[in-house]
Amino acid sequence: MATFILKRVGLALITLWILSVIVFLAGQVLPGDPGRFVLGPLAAPSAVHALDHTFGTDRPVLTQYWSWISHFVQGDMGKSYTYQTAVAPLVIKALGNSLKLAAFVFVIVVPLGIAGGVWAALAAGKPRDRIISVVGLSSTVIPELVSGIVLIVVFGIALNVLPISATAPPGAGLPTQLYHLILPAIPLVLILFGYIEQMARAGTIEALNSDYARTAILKGLPRRTVITRHILRNSLLPTITVAATQVGYLIGGLVIVETLFHYQGIGSLIVTAATGRDFPMLEAGILVIGIVFMVATLVADILFSLLNPRIRYQAAE
Amino acid sequence: MDRNDHRKLDQLRAGQSELENHYVDELLAGRLDRRQFLRKGAVIGMSSTLMGAILAACGGANNSSSASSTSSAAPSGTPKQGGTLRLAQQAPATAINPLTIDDGGGLNMLAQTGEFLVFDNNLLLTLQPMLATSWTPSASGAVWTFKLRPGVTFHNGQAMTAKDVVYTFKQLSDPKIASNALSTFTSVLSPDGVVMVDPMTVAFHLESPNGHFPYLVSSDNYNAIIVPDGTDFSKWQSTFVGTGPFTLKSYTQNVGASFLANPTYWGGKPYLDGSAYTFYASQPPQVLALQGGQVDGIVQFTPQGAQSLLNSSTYNVIKLKSAGHRELSMRNDQAPFTDPRVRQAVALAMGRPQMITALLLGAGQLGNDSPFGPRFPSTNTSVPQRVQDLTKAKQLLSAAGHPHGFSAPLVTEQYQEIPALAQVMKADLAQVGITANLTIEPQATYYGKATYGNSDWLDSTMSLVDYGDRGVPNVYLEAPLTSSGPWNAARFKNKTYDNLVKQYVAAVDLGTQRQLAGKIETLLLAETPIVVPYFLDGLTATTQQVHGVNPTSISAIYLNKAYIS
Repeated sequence: MATFILKRVGLALITLWILSVIVFLAGQVLPGDPGRFVLGPLAAPSAVHALDHTFGTDRPVLTQYWSWISHFVQGDMGKSYTYQTAVAPLVIKALGNSLKLAAFVFVIVVPLGIAGGVWAALAAGKPRDRIISVVGLSSTVIPELVSGIVLIVVFGIALNVLPISATAPPGAGLPTQLYHLILPAIPLVLILFGYIEQMARAGTIEALNSDYARTAILKGLPRRTVITRHILRNSLLPTITVAATQVGYLIGGLVIVETLFHYQGIGSLIVTAATGRDFPMLEAGILVIGIVFMVATLVADILFSLLNPRIRYQAAE
Repeated sequence: MDRNDHRKLDQLRAGQSELENHYVDELLAGRLDRRQFLRKGAVIGMSSTLMGAILAACGGANNSSSASSTSSAAPSGTPKQGGTLRLAQQAPATAINPLTIDDGGGLNMLAQTGEFLVFDNNLLLTLQPMLATSWTPSASGAVWTFKLRPGVTFHNGQAMTAKDVVYTFKQLSDPKIASNALSTFTSVLSPDGVVMVDPMTVAFHLESPNGHFPYLVSSDNYNAIIVPDGTDFSKWQSTFVGTGPFTLKSYTQNVGASFLANPTYWGGKPYLDGSAYTFYASQPPQVLALQGGQVDGIVQFTPQGAQSLLNSSTYNVIKLKSAGHRELSMRNDQAPFTDPRVRQAVALAMGRPQMITALLLGAGQLGNDSPFGPRFPSTNTSVPQRVQDLTKAKQLLSAAGHPHGFSAPLVTEQYQEIPALAQVMKADLAQVGITANLTIEPQATYYGKATYGNSDWLDSTMSLVDYGDRGVPNVYLEAPLTSSGPWNAARFKNKTYDNLVKQYVAAVDLGTQRQLAGKIETLLLAETPIVVPYFLDGLTATTQQVHGVNPTSISAIYLNKAYIS
C-alpha cells in the first residue's frame, strides 16, 4: 500500500509541474498584458510599460517562469498583479469557501444518489425506476444558471424564506454559513444526483444479476442482508469513481453558481486571474485545484482498493 | 426685469471680469439658461453667492429650464440620522490604487474616502467647489490658479495644504510612472507645470490654453483624489487615506468594503453611520439582491436585464445624462469608405430611436455622429439631427459606385449591449444593401495592445467601440479624430478639423465654444468618419427609503447627504 501511495504521489508531482508549464505557456499566448489590464484599454502606452516593468512581465519568459517556480516551491505564491497583495491568503480563502460548498453538496448528494440508485435498481424496469431515472437524468441537464435563477426568484424573492447570497455575514457561525449555502447547493445537487444515481443503479443491477448474488439469495439469506452485505459493496465501486471525478468540477468549475449566488470560490478567482493576465494568481489557483483533484482521486483509489481486493493485489505487484 | 433689478445687476457686474460679464450677457440674451449659467460660471470660478445674486436680479427673465430632478436626488423632509446604507456594485477589477484605477468599481471606492479639487455634480450638471474654494484662469486660459479650502484634514490627522495637492498632480501627470490620468494630462499638464503659490494656493501652468481645465481636476478625472504628500500609491488600499466624509472600516478584494462616517468632515458629519458595499462580478445578482432586500441600492446599472427596476415603482431610479456613447468607425483610408458618401450612407441607414428603445429601454439620448451630446452645454443644438433615410442612403451608394451595396467586416467587443447593437446595425445596413460581417471578440482581444497595427479596435475596416462618460468632450474630440490622435480607428485626417478642435479646447467662453462646436458638428456630419448612434444615460437604483444619494454618470456615488427613512 505504501509503494502504491508513493508512486501515485510521485506521478502527481510530475503532473502538477507539467500543468504549471502549460498554464504558464498558455498565459503567454493569451492576448493583452497585465499592465494594460490594470490601466485599461485607453491608458497611455508609457504608463503600461512602467507598470509592466514593476510587475516584471517585461523580462524574458524563462526568467519569469524560473523566478515564479523557485519561489513557489519554497511556499511563496507571490503577489497578485491586479490586486497588489499576496496571493496565498486570497487563494486559501477562496479554496476554503469552495471546499465548504463542495463538502455540503457531497454530504447531501452522495447518500441521496446511492439510495436513489439502489432503490431504482431494486425495481428495475418498473414505474418507480422509470420515475427516479427520468427525473434524475432530466435534472442533470438543467444548467445551474437556470435552476439557480428559478430558485432565487421562488425562495429568495417571492417566498423570501432563504438568503440568495451564499456569503454569510462576517463572523457568522457554521449553522448560519450552511443556511446561506442551501440555495446554491440545490442546483449542484440536481446536476450531480443524476450521475451518481445512474452509476449506483447500474452497479446494483449488475450485482443483482451476478452469480454471487444469486447464490446468496438461493442459500436463503434475507433480502436485506443480501443487499447490504453483497450487493451494495460491489455496486458502490463505480459510484465512488464518478463521485471523485466530480470533485474537480465542484471545486473549480462552479463559476456560474459562485457568480449568481455571490460566493467567492476558487473558480471565480481563477476566471478573474485569467481575465487580468494575473499569472501568479492563475498558477496558484490552478495548481491548488490540481492538488485537490489528485488528492480526491487518490482517496477514491484507496477506497476502491479497500472495497475491491483485486485492485489491491494489482497495485502490490 | 424692472429698473430696480437692472440697477442691482449693474452693481453686481461692476466688479467682475470680462469673461464673467460675458456669461451674464449670454444669460440675459437667453443663450444660456439658468442651469447652464450656473455651470459655466462655476467653470471659470464665479462663486455661487454671486451667481445666485445675478440670477435673483435677472428674476423671471429666464427661467425656461430647471434641472430634471428625480425624487431621491433632492432630499425632501427631515433627514434621519444613523443607519448603514447597503449598496451593490461591480467588483473593483484591480488593486485600489488611485494612480492606476480605471474601472467603475474601483473608482467608486476612491470616491468614498477621497475628494477632488472640484466636484462635477452630475445631477445639477454644474461644477462645485470641493477641496478648492475658487479657481481663476489667466486671460489666455493657459494658467489656472486654485485657492484651497482651509481647515481640511486628512483621515490621518494631517492638515491638507498646497504641498499635498502639488504632490498628487505631479505624480498623476508624470509620464514615467504608471498613471492612468496620463490619458487626460498628456500634452495638457506636465509635472513641472504644477506649482505651489503659497500654502493654500496652487497654480497649474498648462502646455497650451485649456478652457475646460477645472473639469480635468474634478471628480470626472477619477484618479485625481488628493492624497497626503509622499503617499505610496501602491499601499493606499490598506488605508484609503483621504479627506472625505467617510473613512475606511474594511476592504476585502472581491467581497466588499465598509466605511464609517467621518465625525470631523469639513462639510459636516454625514447622516449615515456608515456604508457597506457588496461586490458582484456581474449585474443580474445585483438586481436580484436589491429585489431580495439584501441591499438598499445599486450604484450603477445598465438597462439590459434590469427591466424589472426600470418598470417598477418600488424603486427610485435616478437617470443621469451622460457622455458615454458607442462609436462606429469606418477606415477613411480603405475602400469603400474612402468616399464620404459611403460613410454618410452607413450613418443614414441607422434607426437610432429604435436602438434606444430596444437596446437601452429608453434610457439614452440621440447621437448625431459627433461626441457632442446633451451632457455638454457647449453642444450646438442648432445643427440638425441626422435621421434614418434609406432612400437617400441608397442614392448615395449608387452615386459612389455601389448600386448593389458591398460587404465589409465589422469587429466589435463583448461588452454590455454592444453585441446586440452590432446585430441591429447589421440589420439596418442590410436594408441599403451593405453586408456587415460581424466578429464579436472578448475585450482583451479586441483592444489588443491599443496601438496601430496591434489592435482590432484600431485596425478593423469597421469597428464598434464603447466610450465612457467624461465631463468635457475634449478627449473624444482629440484622441479618436485628430490627425495625430492615438485612437484614430477611422484614420480620419482633416486639417480644418484639427484646427477647430484646437480652438475649441482653448476657448474659455461658452459663446465661442458653442460656435466652434457647431462648426465641428457640421464638419463631422459632412465627413462622417464615425457614427455615434446614441448616448447612454447613467442609471442608479435605490429602495424608496433611501434619500439624498448623489450618483455621477461615471459610476461613483456620493453619500455625504444620504439618509435612510
